[in-house]
Amino acid sequence: MRLLRSLPNWLTILISFLMLLAGWHLLVMIGEYPSFILPSPVNVAQQMAVVVADGRLLRHSLITISEIIPGLLIGFFVALPLGYLLAKSPLAERLISPYLIASQAIPIIAIAPLLTIWIASTYWSRVLVAALVVFFPVLINIIAGLRSVPPELYELMHALKATPGQIFRKLEFPAALPIILAGLKVGATLSVIGALVGEFVQPKSQGLGFLLVTARYQFKTDLVFVILLTLAAIALSLYGLVALVERRVLRWQT
Amino acid sequence: MKKLIWLLLAFSVIVLVGCREAEPEPVGLRQIRLPMGYIADPQYAPFYVAAKKGYYAAEGLEIEFDYSFETDGIALVGANELPLAIVSGEQVIMARAQDLPVVYVMEWFQKYPIAVVSKAASGIARPQDLAGRNVGLPGFWGASYVGYVGLLTANGLTQDDVRANDIGFNQVESLLSDQSEAVVVYINNEPVQLAAQGEAINVIAVADYIDLVANGIITNEDTLANEPDLVQGFVRATLLGLSDTLADPEAAYQISKQYVEGLDDGRFDVLLASIELWRADTLGLTDAASWQQTQAVLLDMGFLDAPLPDLNAAFTNEFVSQPLPQ
Repeated sequence: MRLLRSLPNWLTILISFLMLLAGWHLLVMIGEYPSFILPSPVNVAQQMAVVVADGRLLRHSLITISEIIPGLLIGFFVALPLGYLLAKSPLAERLISPYLIASQAIPIIAIAPLLTIWIASTYWSRVLVAALVVFFPVLINIIAGLRSVPPELYELMHALKATPGQIFRKLEFPAALPIILAGLKVGATLSVIGALVGEFVQPKSQGLGFLLVTARYQFKTDLVFVILLTLAAIALSLYGLVALVERRVLRWQT
Repeated sequence: MKKLIWLLLAFSVIVLVGCREAEPEPVGLRQIRLPMGYIADPQYAPFYVAAKKGYYAAEGLEIEFDYSFETDGIALVGANELPLAIVSGEQVIMARAQDLPVVYVMEWFQKYPIAVVSKAASGIARPQDLAGRNVGLPGFWGASYVGYVGLLTANGLTQDDVRANDIGFNQVESLLSDQSEAVVVYINNEPVQLAAQGEAINVIAVADYIDLVANGIITNEDTLANEPDLVQGFVRATLLGLSDTLADPEAAYQISKQYVEGLDDGRFDVLLASIELWRADTLGLTDAASWQQTQAVLLDMGFLDAPLPDLNAAFTNEFVSQPLPQ
């Protein structure tokens, strides 16, 4: 255990990944599962090689990523001003909050097909699904972040005759930033699910969601695993990217 | 405090209702969960009739209709978790290509139910008229896509000859709003809807040009080897339900109302259109040539990497050649 603790981070992650693969392989061997129920890591690696070589994985991944990024940004930038309004105005909170909370009870999969008809653009309706999934957790974090500012600091700013704009720039935004970025990290992973839901239920035979449906239709479980691993890699990369931004932006904290 | 007591009481009632004893199974009947592949619908009238008239019970079976996805049904039968399911023929070939030991034992739809529909004014009356036209498909997968490619292939067209777009399951809207010049549909569904709206349409039925294997009953090799009587009993009862439905669609529709929540008389035409796809000299019989054609289409589409080593192992007529009881 002490040896594990002394290892660098990347090596610990690599060891845990290899242990996961070994456990998975062992499970398939002991259970003697056929490939359509649970493919072995070797089957999955072989299928991965096929779809990488013929360019399918990259092509569909790029399409999904092109929906995730705008979805994440739209969800975040719509949540930002609305979160500020709700955090600062009790009247706005009373008027808008009930609808926002009620909207979370609506399964996105139920309205996603309707979005295609309403928007008449498959691409933007998929982006919107991703944005809708991202929006709420980010909004909640923005409100929580802005409300976490200590009142004494407001008093100090007022004593210094700071304008509302200065209060926002110099106090509220920097103070709320750690919690806002934590929300963005959650949003980044959720945006992957959002884009995939959009691809599942909306036409346009492109993207990892489409590839997933086709793989299920053809009973290619190994390809299903390849897609799931790719989605996990995209989510991890986005999370890492936000974490990197967080480290740079919040350097003042350390 | 009062509020708390009321809350606790309400919670207790919910828990007690949830925990009530399940309805007892009829004595001696074996319960079979049957994946249907689609939502409850009068298209399943033969199965409802067989259940209602006691044909399944006479075979010692009680059928639980499971309206889950078709791919889940085939995977569960392939893994021998369930003995029977209703699936489309092309799925059987693709499943066997991935080593799922499923076997097709009764052809329910004798005609492949896919068609290309256009407005009468579009001038698309024959498959050849599709060349250069904008055709809407639900997606580039599934029975609709297989039927569409089969239709093109049978008429000397390639996919490059037609401008195909995926439009989701919005075929009626897409056609009526002229976003598509023609759309690929289920012949027993959308054409009925369009006719009901008074739209003059042309219908090109895939089955008029190529014989592909459509929906039927599957089991797995283990059940075939160890429980042939189960398969025989189920097929026999289903064929009786099918036969009764063909003989008296009105009565079958009335029975369907007991199984399809909220079903009014508006979908009777769907049942009538479906019936035309089920008729055959020998109900349930499947044709080896149609399996060859279906496999050829799947290979052409790239949905199959290579022909199955033994295509004949994918189906059997063993259970439908038995005479029905009088």
